[in-house]
Amino acid sequence: MADTMGHSATATRNTRLALGFCLLAIAPQIFELIWSIGTIFGWGIGRGPAAVVTSHAAALLAGAPSAIFGSFGGGAKKASSEVLLALIYSYPLFVVAILTLFMTIRSAQDYVGGVVLMAVALFALWAGSDLQGMRGFSFGAGTAPRMFGGLLVALSAGIALTGLLTDGPAMAHYSWRGPLFVMAAILFFALAIRPLGLVVTAFASFMIAATGSHETRWLEAAIVGACLTLGCAILFPYVLGLPMPMFPRFLIQ
Amino acid sequence: MDIFANLAHGFAVALSPINLLMCLIGALVGTLVGVLPGIGTIATVAMLLPITFGLPPVGALIMLAGIYYGAQYGGSTTSILVNIPGEATSVVTAIDGHQMAKQGRAGPALAIAAIGSFFAGCVATVLIAILGAPLTKLALAFGPAEYFSLMVLGLIFAVVLAKGSVLKAIAMIVFGLLLSMVGSDIETGASRMAFNIPELADGLGFATVAMGVFGFAEIIRNLDHGAEMNRDLVQQKITGLMPTRKDLADSTPPILRGTVLGSILGILPGGGAVIASFAAYTLEKKLARNPSRFGRGAIEGVAGPESANNAAAQTSFIPLLTLGIPPNAVMALMVGAMTIHGIVPGPQVMQKQPDLVWGMIASMWIGNLMLIIINLPLVGIWVRLLRVPYRLMFPSIVIFCAIGIYSVNNAPVDVILAGVFGLVGYWLIKHDFEPAPLLLGMVLGPLMEENLRRALLISRGDWSVFLTRPLSAVLLAIAASLLVLTVLPVLRAKRDEVFTESEN
Repeated sequence: MADTMGHSATATRNTRLALGFCLLAIAPQIFELIWSIGTIFGWGIGRGPAAVVTSHAAALLAGAPSAIFGSFGGGAKKASSEVLLALIYSYPLFVVAILTLFMTIRSAQDYVGGVVLMAVALFALWAGSDLQGMRGFSFGAGTAPRMFGGLLVALSAGIALTGLLTDGPAMAHYSWRGPLFVMAAILFFALAIRPLGLVVTAFASFMIAATGSHETRWLEAAIVGACLTLGCAILFPYVLGLPMPMFPRFLIQ
Repeated sequence: MDIFANLAHGFAVALSPINLLMCLIGALVGTLVGVLPGIGTIATVAMLLPITFGLPPVGALIMLAGIYYGAQYGGSTTSILVNIPGEATSVVTAIDGHQMAKQGRAGPALAIAAIGSFFAGCVATVLIAILGAPLTKLALAFGPAEYFSLMVLGLIFAVVLAKGSVLKAIAMIVFGLLLSMVGSDIETGASRMAFNIPELADGLGFATVAMGVFGFAEIIRNLDHGAEMNRDLVQQKITGLMPTRKDLADSTPPILRGTVLGSILGILPGGGAVIASFAAYTLEKKLARNPSRFGRGAIEGVAGPESANNAAAQTSFIPLLTLGIPPNAVMALMVGAMTIHGIVPGPQVMQKQPDLVWGMIASMWIGNLMLIIINLPLVGIWVRLLRVPYRLMFPSIVIFCAIGIYSVNNAPVDVILAGVFGLVGYWLIKHDFEPAPLLLGMVLGPLMEENLRRALLISRGDWSVFLTRPLSAVLLAIAASLLVLTVLPVLRAKRDEVFTESEN
């Protein structure tokens, strides 16, 4: 009984892992889609969401397969960047995701670590695919990135294999609260330091970051945050002479 | 004697009142900024770099060297007290140093770190003076192939001495190499893997990645555990700031061993100081009669690595001054500073600017002396930092880190990138990857690629050049044998495990 239960548990986890890898396989496309939403409101430059969806869908479903089979016929036409992304990045990861379904994973920590690192390496290979390769015996701009990218694919495959062949720790527990609020504080700092100045930004970021721990006492945090802001406002611009805006831009003007 | 004449000349330069003042200011400011949690050596040097721009070259470099030592000492202070290593070299110090602090022995830990660093600094200064000139001659025999092989050796050292899986350590190095290739290509100027983001055109900064992977990632990870591990620390009474006679007796041999090991490893390019502190810790643990004490507040675990990393930090000036290779991120910043002052580091610096080189070497010793004088009385003040609870400490660290990164280039994008690398670092920790080799790969990446390309261009694309040139072949052979020696026991252990399993 226990055995079957254990088996079904690994099976469900494998399905979830495989789904996760599928999501990872189209992560760059999704990222571009989210990014492109901004163009509706006129932020940034680039294609609109509709164009992004159609071009990537076409590349994933039609362009890449035809590139694989068509290359035997007349492969003279240069593949577009979306098709290359599908070929170099997405397809290998889909294959890994499908393989995952049939594997017994003995160390999820190593296996997932290896696969994600492989995704990073494949992504780097795609990012460097537009660069010139070897010219005769001299290196082009793309030779070294391709070399090390390929090496990283091999090494990460090795790590994933270790996760299949040897026993090791399972996935570690991730918490969301700390990372979320610390990242929010960092992001706020980066976006606000220019327009709002050091004083407002430092205090607000302090309070956002403080939310990341569940034992923050608000009054205490506010007092410390204020003192810290004062200290930073004296230390960095005056004592160290770093050029930094102090107060919000709209107040100065 | 040539060496002593040179050293005397150096001391004459360094002891001039103005340069003495520069050294003092550098050491003091370096310590003060370096002690801010989350702002490690790299960020401190990067932040303080601009204040040296207006000075004459000799004064500027002397001040920078002072900042460097000050920052390094300040960095170990924070890693002992708040367990946040600002950079790779103090990761090891944090293991036992922070345990000592928890037991109320923060004072002795800090004092031993200072004393060990001072002793190591003295030895290393003499070593630089002796080895500097002969190594410059050796440097002339170094072609691109030899440089490349030397860097491979340095990276392999990092793998050998890293803890955990060899495969993962190598993967981290290659990941670092890949990251170093983001930005403009050195030869063709083509933009590589930058996705048309203008801020990436210059490449990813070391300080940005280091701060993300070590600073932010560490904070996030600490939040995972909640603050319970820090709570017991606050109530502890802090007893005795000065080390006892027994502490001194216990730490003398580790200091000596650490100094020797650090001096040797520092000369190798490839983050000498990082490797040295890890190696010294491993050595002390292997030599100890009772290894289980390590990780629970053994003073040897502070004394050995601290002296090793200081010795290595100092001897790592040797490859910089003789070969022009920056062996670690801070040295890379030093190269930047030198270039701003119109000095190209390399074999010719020693002959062309003896004032600068020997003045700087002498000022290192003076800087170390100043550090011990400044810091021993301040130990009591630093220890008070321990009483700040983590729930207030960590948002402050986030702010300091953010300001630190922002001030390096005045670029908000750098702060966001550091945040992203913070998440990457958190993920790496969760999957048991070590971030230190990644940083090494990043530091050495551009140089490795450049020399690889140059070597192959000269040999007309013939890869055998790395094996046919004797010096390069020897270096690669050492690297290969080191790697084999490391992998063999692992394989055997794996096989043993398999056997015990099948027996069950």
